Amino acid sequence: MYITRATLLLMLFSYLLFLTSVDWLAEQDGAWYRPFIIGLLVIALAAFSHREQDSDDL
Amino acid sequence: MTFDLSTLFILGICYLMLLFGIALATDKGWIPQRITRHPIVYVLSLGVFASVWSYYAVTGNAFRDGFGYLAPFIGISLAFLFSPVMLRPILDITKSYQLSSLADLLAFRYRSPLAGTLTTIVMLMGVTPLLSLQIQAVASSVAILAPEASQTALAAAFCLLITLFAIFFGTGRGAGREKHEGLVMAIAFESVVKLLAMLSVGGFAIYQGFGGFAEVDQWLQAQPELLSSIKDTSTAGSLHVTVILFFTAAVASPHMFYMIFNENNDPKALTMASWALPLYFLLLSLPVMPILWAGLKAGSTAPLDFYPLTIGADYGSPLITMIGFLGGLSAASGLIIVITLALSNMCLNHLILPVYQPTARNDIYRWLLWKRRILIAALIWIGFLLYYIPDDKLSVRAIGNVSFIASLQFLPSIVALLYWPRGNKNGYMAGLLTGVLIWLLFLMLPVVTGVDLLESTNLSSREIIAISLVCNILIFVITSLWTHTSAEERASADICALDTIRRRNRTGLVARSPDEFIAKLTKPLGERTATREVLQALRDLKIDQQEKSPHSMRLLRGRLEANLSGLLGPSIAHDLIDRFLPYTIESEAGATDVDVIESRIEAYRSNLSGMAEDLDNLRRYHRQVLLELPLGVCSLGEQNQIVMWNHTMEKLTGTPGQSVLGAQLSDIGEPWASLIHDFTVGDAAHAHKRVVQVKNSRRFISLHKAIIEKSATHKIKQDGVVILLEDLTETELLEEELTHSERLASIGRLAAGVAHEIGNPITGIACLAQNIRDETDNDELRSMARQIIEQTDRTSRIVQSLVNFAHSGANKPDHTSEVVTVEECAKEAITLISLDKKRKDINYVVNCRQSLQILGDSQRLLQVMINLINNAHDASPAGSTITIASKLVSGSVQISVTDEGTGIPEEVRDRIFEPFFTTKEPGEGTGLGLSLVYSIVENLDGHIDILNASLRRENPGTRVILTFPCYDGAASAAGASPDAL
Repeated sequence: MYITRATLLLMLFSYLLFLTSVDWLAEQDGAWYRPFIIGLLVIALAAFSHREQDSDDL
Repeated sequence: MTFDLSTLFILGICYLMLLFGIALATDKGWIPQRITRHPIVYVLSLGVFASVWSYYAVTGNAFRDGFGYLAPFIGISLAFLFSPVMLRPILDITKSYQLSSLADLLAFRYRSPLAGTLTTIVMLMGVTPLLSLQIQAVASSVAILAPEASQTALAAAFCLLITLFAIFFGTGRGAGREKHEGLVMAIAFESVVKLLAMLSVGGFAIYQGFGGFAEVDQWLQAQPELLSSIKDTSTAGSLHVTVILFFTAAVASPHMFYMIFNENNDPKALTMASWALPLYFLLLSLPVMPILWAGLKAGSTAPLDFYPLTIGADYGSPLITMIGFLGGLSAASGLIIVITLALSNMCLNHLILPVYQPTARNDIYRWLLWKRRILIAALIWIGFLLYYIPDDKLSVRAIGNVSFIASLQFLPSIVALLYWPRGNKNGYMAGLLTGVLIWLLFLMLPVVTGVDLLESTNLSSREIIAISLVCNILIFVITSLWTHTSAEERASADICALDTIRRRNRTGLVARSPDEFIAKLTKPLGERTATREVLQALRDLKIDQQEKSPHSMRLLRGRLEANLSGLLGPSIAHDLIDRFLPYTIESEAGATDVDVIESRIEAYRSNLSGMAEDLDNLRRYHRQVLLELPLGVCSLGEQNQIVMWNHTMEKLTGTPGQSVLGAQLSDIGEPWASLIHDFTVGDAAHAHKRVVQVKNSRRFISLHKAIIEKSATHKIKQDGVVILLEDLTETELLEEELTHSERLASIGRLAAGVAHEIGNPITGIACLAQNIRDETDNDELRSMARQIIEQTDRTSRIVQSLVNFAHSGANKPDHTSEVVTVEECAKEAITLISLDKKRKDINYVVNCRQSLQILGDSQRLLQVMINLINNAHDASPAGSTITIASKLVSGSVQISVTDEGTGIPEEVRDRIFEPFFTTKEPGEGTGLGLSLVYSIVENLDGHIDILNASLRRENPGTRVILTFPCYDGAASAAGASPDAL
């Protein structure tokens, strides 16, 4: 199995998103469902990055 | 609000019966396969991971940790979001080698039955308490809803039904490798029930508890302490540990391993799960906070953990309470079923089979099936006992929570399995034992006995977990580096490691055909099982039962080991295959199978990018050059193993590359094996025109060889020899033909000289004989003179033939060029021949198209026709027919002369154009007729073929076919549809 660029980019993006969104999530007057918005964003990106990774089977 | 036990009991029974129904309908094929095999079913079945911790305990966690309750969801979701990093490679390995549990995988990777046994024991210690936690959750939920009911009776009934379900739908027919579609469908249904229940309860909490989303926010703003506690980030450290723990659990928990890898029908389904399962967990975790807040707002007296169950009662809705109860039931039952199936496989493969194996006389499948069923029942009821025996039910939960941490100790070995081939079994076992020991002494012991050895140090659980993991990693790395790794283990490490595609290259099997495989395996497995397994492996590989090529036999051996691994576990299967189907030749360590490397690169090709893609393109280009080279290329590895066999070699030897790649040189058959072997062992770098007898023809082959030096790269240790085979047969035949033509020309020149020298004395003899005939009265003398004249006439004809032959053999085109109509020429020839009244009676049929014309010398063509018809006449019996026909074929005129005579024997057919060769009686023919025809036809740019006219055994007849270029281009266009003969 070869780790694709899409996977590496997804990992990098998720990490950066986590770092930048910590303060935003912790804001006292922020909506309680903010973590779920971040989660949805990461899931959508994962769905996008995995869309072409299924062509090789052993 | 309380319920009758009977109501809950009936509800529970109905729900479990529905599960039975779904599983049965799937197994019976009543539900279409496009539904049961849809990737979404697989994704939903993975929702089994969300057991009671994600349904009941999660509200309690949310109250204590705020958004920290999401940590387990994040951990497991990360494992799926980054599935190419861990899950996908493990899926490839488990599918290829039929590994059904983590113990199988680690025993396979570290080539140690002990590693498998140790993994199973640690897994049992860590996971069995989870079973009792599920049972306790169901019992507690019943106790909350029906306080006066007997929890134990309901828990026992629940266990009984779950046991029956797991046995009926989870064990199959005992072959170990079949997919359990009924089970997967039922578990997927449970995940849907769980999610719908949670969303319904959440929706109810928002709209019934608060009145809407805006009201939730308003209420929340009025609770500043609660708001700050849910957004508190001070506990981030422990959350990180939880994330790592649940990330590991994707592989290290037996139920997830079982569902992800064992029940996967299609790798693409895992790709879908990589985003769809995190989405499922996100939806499942979304209503948790509203449910908690609604419970707090209502001032619920129930334990925080059970708010999803009690919220309905708090707001007076029995329906929501029932939905909440069903959700909890589905969360608990799904986990118990899958966990016991997974553990039963592990226990069977790594605890029972290593010490007690069925004999060949037993029906192995039946034996395994019953052992598996007994284990399932035993595990569920051990879980029940662990729930039933302790007086303090809280300790059950505490033990369950702590025990699950044990699975974290597998993280180093899983990572090393994929990314660190240096790790060995000593390191794995030492690291695991160290980590487990720390876990037992400092985490488990205080919970079970109350004795806390680290009380004075004030270390938190999170710190102890981190220390155990670090110690595990350190001991693993140090022991692996300091201890010896066996060649067997290195081979397994190479198979599992991501950055290498090396394979050990071993050849020469004791068993050389599928039948011999069966015979060898009959001893340990019994004839029935051996036959079934070998035939199954042949079917999997799509190999014919008669196939005997070494390459196929090696594939068959590998497949058999994989299939038996699914049946008996990797350790037993490996040991069994090694013992009964050993290799006869062991290659050097590190030797590689180029063919395997190439096939793996081909499989990954679409993933290559940048320089890797360029290198791959370069590799493909060079490979294609070698494959398409118009010379035969055969490359031999160590021990004369064939590494390359290009297209020209395939054509030359008639042996397809696929069947010889990886085979020994001696396996390709004679005469090629001897030819190449003798040349390889000889000193000469070139061999010119070796004669090879292939079937009935001779081939002339030149050979060249070059030694391949050892590569500088230590990973590719491929020394061998490359051999080029040059087929010179065509050239040799042309040379022979040229020599033959030269010989004919010499004879022609000789004949011309002889004819010239003989002609004059013959004329003199004829004149003298005429004088004697005319001047004598003696009848006897006159008769003799007539005979002399006849003989001299005959001699003159022969001499004239020789002169004609000699002239026709000259290269210069001395004939006139005119348009000749084939039909006229044929008719004229017949007329001339018919003048001889002494000839026997023959029917002549002329079947020529009038318009067909060729460019040539009409007299010479007439001579050709006369000669051919004469020959046909001599060979034909009286009353038979000679047919002269012509037709247009691809722009050429084809003239055929067909008789019904004796035909030309095969053995003389090659010689009939030679001068002076004749099959006629002595004195009947000169042997120059066909030679002359041949020469004239060649001079007219034509071609002559002779073949039998029919398939008759006696008197097959002869057909002489002359082919000339057509004169009229328009006629060739008009004659696109060939005329009949």
